[in-house]
Amino acid sequence: MANVELKRPPGAGGLYLKAAIGMTPLAGNRKKELPDTVFSLAPKAVDVDKLSGFCRVTEHTLTGTLPPVYFNVLAFPLHMALLTSNGFPFPVIGLVHVQNKIEQSRPADVSEEIGLQVSATNLRPHAKGRQFDVITEARVGDELVSKATSTYLRIGGGGDKSLADDKSAGVDYSTLPQVSEWRLAGDLGRRYASVSGDRNPIHMHDLTAKAFGFPKAIAHGMWTKARALAAIDNKLPDAFTADAAFKRPILLPSKVTFGVAERADGLDFTVRNAKKGTPHLDGSIVNG
Amino acid sequence: MPAKAPRPVWVIGGNRIPFVRSNGPYSHASNQDMFTAAVDGLADRYGLAGEPVGDFAGGAVLKFARELNLSREVVLGSKLAPETPAFDVGQACGTGLEAAILIANKIALGQIDSGIAGGTDTTSDAPIELNEDLRQTLMDVNRIKDPKKQAFTLLKKFRPGMVKPEIPVNREARTGLSMGEHTAITAKEWNITREDQDQLTFESHQKLAAAWDSGWQDDLVSPYLGVEVDGNLRADTSMEKLAKLKPVFGGKDGTMTAANSTPLSDGASAVLLGTEEWAKERGLTPRARFVDAETAAIDYIVKQEGLLLAPVYAVPRMLERNGLKLQDFDFYEIHEAFAAQTLATLKAWEDPAFCKSRLGLAKPLGSIDRSKLNVKGGSLAAAHPFAATGGRIVANLAKLLEEKGSGRGLISICAAGGQGVVAILER
Repeated sequence: MANVELKRPPGAGGLYLKAAIGMTPLAGNRKKELPDTVFSLAPKAVDVDKLSGFCRVTEHTLTGTLPPVYFNVLAFPLHMALLTSNGFPFPVIGLVHVQNKIEQSRPADVSEEIGLQVSATNLRPHAKGRQFDVITEARVGDELVSKATSTYLRIGGGGDKSLADDKSAGVDYSTLPQVSEWRLAGDLGRRYASVSGDRNPIHMHDLTAKAFGFPKAIAHGMWTKARALAAIDNKLPDAFTADAAFKRPILLPSKVTFGVAERADGLDFTVRNAKKGTPHLDGSIVNG
Repeated sequence: MPAKAPRPVWVIGGNRIPFVRSNGPYSHASNQDMFTAAVDGLADRYGLAGEPVGDFAGGAVLKFARELNLSREVVLGSKLAPETPAFDVGQACGTGLEAAILIANKIALGQIDSGIAGGTDTTSDAPIELNEDLRQTLMDVNRIKDPKKQAFTLLKKFRPGMVKPEIPVNREARTGLSMGEHTAITAKEWNITREDQDQLTFESHQKLAAAWDSGWQDDLVSPYLGVEVDGNLRADTSMEKLAKLKPVFGGKDGTMTAANSTPLSDGASAVLLGTEEWAKERGLTPRARFVDAETAAIDYIVKQEGLLLAPVYAVPRMLERNGLKLQDFDFYEIHEAFAAQTLATLKAWEDPAFCKSRLGLAKPLGSIDRSKLNVKGGSLAAAHPFAATGGRIVANLAKLLEEKGSGRGLISICAAGGQGVVAILER
């Protein structure tokens, strides 16, 4: 196993340049397997100004506790370094973020130094192509406070149609009571980009989104998850698992509804298109 | 229906975030952010997570129009159960203490068994408003139905000067004088010397520094955004250093400086009140009883009373009702908005002529034992995020009385608009 430690987060602009090069034949040879490299950032204090910007855009209260999705923001340069590393099996542009699961063991305070490790694992077939997981581990000292598993899909070869979603199983998110309506502004992608560093062109402008096959700029999936977790912030215990499946992209601007229902051991939530009721995100919290 | 006797009300404890100077570490924190952090710390300390309390009262002096339901929004974003009702209180710098009085009264009357009172203020994230002329023009234009006429009227009425925003100022609406300017008049009237003001300031810093050093603040404050100690505290200040500062109010010969006046600051505080039974059911030890309170207001305009001297009037009324003398207290928590206002308050109670002509008393209230005044430091050292000061003082005094075992404490807080809020705690 190889280790790469980033001394400081690289600028996202350069990373997307690298990502763009990755779409061309200049990318070099792509390997068949995921790299076993672990990308890490040494323990570092959280910048309160940046955190407050994230809290504003995702509507979290700035209590000094790091929002669950914030580790993803802190680790974003590592995600990009991993996904654009030489020989990575897939070009980063074109990967679809289909699932994000956060397992938090305790809340971290802004005064704590957070160390981060990112790696890729579990390359496997999906009904529409192949999928793999990006694991993000956040530690205070040696203590693992948050582990996130982001699943990415590369549409295309290597698919296995027998793996199509089993519609009969699990929660029917469409039946959750819709309790709030959120009006998402046309510049939401740019606003979240400025606080998360994720300047993927599909979120920035209609024109750049069109270049990648979207009719309009789309909201970041992790914004949607962060906003949903902010809405149920006072229901989250110290330790929990927050799983979310990203369904259809939110085309900006948009009006969406937020649905939620409590269970004995947590709750289920969903973000849906206000007009059509089609799902953007289905998620669940499991306490403990 | 038989009348019910009032029940004893206890201060169970309090929590605040460290207070810091304006435009410092809390620059990007809103009133709601800070208040929620203070309440979450209180919930952690007293096991209130997921628990409803009877009522929640709080406020902020400087707040946005969108914060009209600030206290309720704080509850909904906090660890408290969302079934906790909440309401906003506004009485300038008296807000925090007045909120505690309202909660205490509800508990005393048997309407609730527990409640939280507090306050928050930020001068860093202050509401800057649209220019008043522009706002009125836009409202007028909005009332016109024809869109063409609307545009025409807007163009006709618009003046370039209208883009200048309204920035909130610390100024009395009816006199146009700032609070410092008002207090400079009081300082002159009562001959409060620069040296006395600096001495009070120096002692305030020394006492607060000692309270932090000895760990006394540990169960009263929870860190926020990486800040662990009050940012305004200057443990190393000296009379020499204080003497070097130039006056900021009262002109060239003024006695008031940036040190012996409280700075603009950011912070939040909350106190938990309840009956003894409610506390015991939860394994909590109440600290001190909230015995009585009084609010006074004075005519600082035509009668030219000192703007911040209303507590001078409130205290004798409360003493008389309780059959007490000014000297019957073990602790005095007098809010130090300015050293001059604190010292003028004490001098007024000592002055036979003032007590007779203004307070209608045959004898002056007399002097207090100064060693019992603000023994863990006051607002000059801790700073004064307006609505957060009441909660800081109530929690401080309750802890002092619990430590002493038995005794009595007086709280006195002056507020804008010529008002004063005072209270008695006992154990």
